[in-house]
Amino acid sequence: MISFQMMRTAGTALLLAAACSGFCSVGVAADEAVELVASLLASADAGERAIGLERVRYGIKGKAATDRLVALLPTLPTAAQAQLAAALGDRADAAALPAVNALFKSSQDASVRSACIRALGTMGGTSEVPALAQALASADPEMTAARRALTVIGGSDAVAAIVAASKSAAPEARAVLLEVLADRRARAAVPDFLAAAIDSQASVRAAAMRSLGKLGGPDQIPGMVLGFLKAEGKEREEAEKAIVLVCTKNDGKERSAARFMEVFKAANAADREPLLSPLAKIGGNAALEIIDGLIADADTTKRQLGLKTLVKWPDATVSKRILDLVGSARDPAEREILLGGLIRIAPLPDNKLKDNEKLDLLKKAMDLCMNDKDRGRVLERANAIRTVETFRFVLPYLDDPNLAEPACKSIVELAHHRKLRDDNKDDFMKALDRVISTTKNAELIERAERYKLGKTWER
Amino acid sequence: MPYDASSLNAPFEALKGFDWGEDAAAFKPIDEAVIASHGDPAARTDLEGRLAALLGKDVSTACKEYVCRKLALIGGVASVPSLAALLGDAKLSHMARFALEKMTVPDAAAALRTALGQVDDDLKIGMISSLAARADAASVSLLAPLVAAGGPVAVAAARALGRIQTPQAIEALAGVDAFSGDLLAAAVVDARLGHAERLLAKGDRAAALAMYKSLAVGAAGKPQSTSIERAARRGILACLDTSAAV
Repeated sequence: MISFQMMRTAGTALLLAAACSGFCSVGVAADEAVELVASLLASADAGERAIGLERVRYGIKGKAATDRLVALLPTLPTAAQAQLAAALGDRADAAALPAVNALFKSSQDASVRSACIRALGTMGGTSEVPALAQALASADPEMTAARRALTVIGGSDAVAAIVAASKSAAPEARAVLLEVLADRRARAAVPDFLAAAIDSQASVRAAAMRSLGKLGGPDQIPGMVLGFLKAEGKEREEAEKAIVLVCTKNDGKERSAARFMEVFKAANAADREPLLSPLAKIGGNAALEIIDGLIADADTTKRQLGLKTLVKWPDATVSKRILDLVGSARDPAEREILLGGLIRIAPLPDNKLKDNEKLDLLKKAMDLCMNDKDRGRVLERANAIRTVETFRFVLPYLDDPNLAEPACKSIVELAHHRKLRDDNKDDFMKALDRVISTTKNAELIERAERYKLGKTWER
Repeated sequence: MPYDASSLNAPFEALKGFDWGEDAAAFKPIDEAVIASHGDPAARTDLEGRLAALLGKDVSTACKEYVCRKLALIGGVASVPSLAALLGDAKLSHMARFALEKMTVPDAAAALRTALGQVDDDLKIGMISSLAARADAASVSLLAPLVAAGGPVAVAAARALGRIQTPQAIEALAGVDAFSGDLLAAAVVDARLGHAERLLAKGDRAAALAMYKSLAVGAAGKPQSTSIERAARRGILACLDTSAAV
């Protein structure tokens, strides 16, 4: 009988000899298969190890085989240890849990530890949550592995365990744990998100608001508004996105929007001002009434606030209103606010304006421009309307030295769209030649040359 | 709507005069009739006869290719002779095979086997491919001698035998050195590995193991055969692993 140790020592040749001599007869094969896998896992050749690892993942079933495999773990070099730990994780036999846990605790190698962490996520349960939460404080790849493991870990109490871990975790780890709970769609954690939305730590608040953006509904709007008001700067922008998401995309979005309006109306004057921005981005007739009221106010500050709010509208339905306002504006500052808004809003998709109507709006915006900076913005924005009429609108500006660069950029962006380019091939080829000879932007030249050759696959 | 043969007179007339670059809309009713004939044997018979008749007429290559495409969908015994007549035509052989390859009637395979002994080497590779696509066991005795002929025909024949996968087909490859590293050897290895996988999938572990072992032994120590050795070793393990589903 050839022993396992002999096979390991002799390597491939003897292994094959054994396999081919009748040693591996099918009748007594299962145990031999485990031994063959063990010998392959110990090979210095990565290709051979891969054959063994495939069996670990998908074959040699049963606890006895798992016990034999985990016994190998401490004896292998680190690369092989990491691979076997990962394969055991995919095998998902809980019998390997103690050995993987032990290796995780004893190994100093990051690749081994991260493989163990991933395996603990697929094999483990509630009792592994504290260790995994602790691993969030590590550097990558362990931190990423821990986050992934916590997202997939099973067990009926796993969510409760993660919530408990989040309460005692350091701020950065707490933020990750809140996002893990959101990724798990753990609605039971929503009260914890609301509490965290007004935490003293910005990173925790931001994570809580992002999580509420994923899972929140009408009942969470008042709490989210508190979180929004507590946030500052970039964090407030993110908090605003979360509120807008809940009021425009999530289940019960209409009720959430109505709830937001109630909260807005009940807020004091100081809180109302920052809430105007999410109000405009959520949209709706009631919001428009409030904005119109501000615009009609005799107080210039309030009027400008109303204008700034109006131009944040989420679609092009207010474009006519903005056009009228910009036409009658006397104050240059107000005019700039409105014109900027019109240029941004005109090409937005709203399923109400056709492409030619959007282009007409942009042309009107162009007529209202008082300087080349604004005209340039119109030209750059135009490429969002992907039609040959837009191309023809932009093309003459290649002759204007002050507007040639934005015109070049828009022509190249339009040319990026194969169908538009191919349907008007001759015109585009000539225009791209002009771009190449006009622009000072090397990237635009390179793209124009590629599009001329029909190569569109990278922007 | 019931099949109305007379309504297709004009479309068939238009088809007769069709050539590449011209508008195909005039005979679109034929496309629709072919689709609508599903479950209507009488309509199929009529359509098949009218389409096959065009293959013997002085019409364009474009027209005949169109007919082949339609016969691939509805063709049967009646259209086999017309298609078989095109197998030696360098321009239309491929489209005729396209139709015959898909037909379920045995006559279609018989036509391909007959043509195998009649056409030149370039077209012969096509016949071999079509017989392989049909996994035509009856062609093994014709394909086996071609493996010894060498060149692209031999490689195509070896690949075909590998696809046909009967014991006789695999046996026909026994005399080839599977480890020389050339295209023929690669085709033979693919055939044997495929056969072993099929045996294992059927639960015949012993036979699969024998096939994998023969490959492992043959490949051992040959640098250009490392991948074969690994594939065989992977198969051996799968055979021995009686705990896992095959």
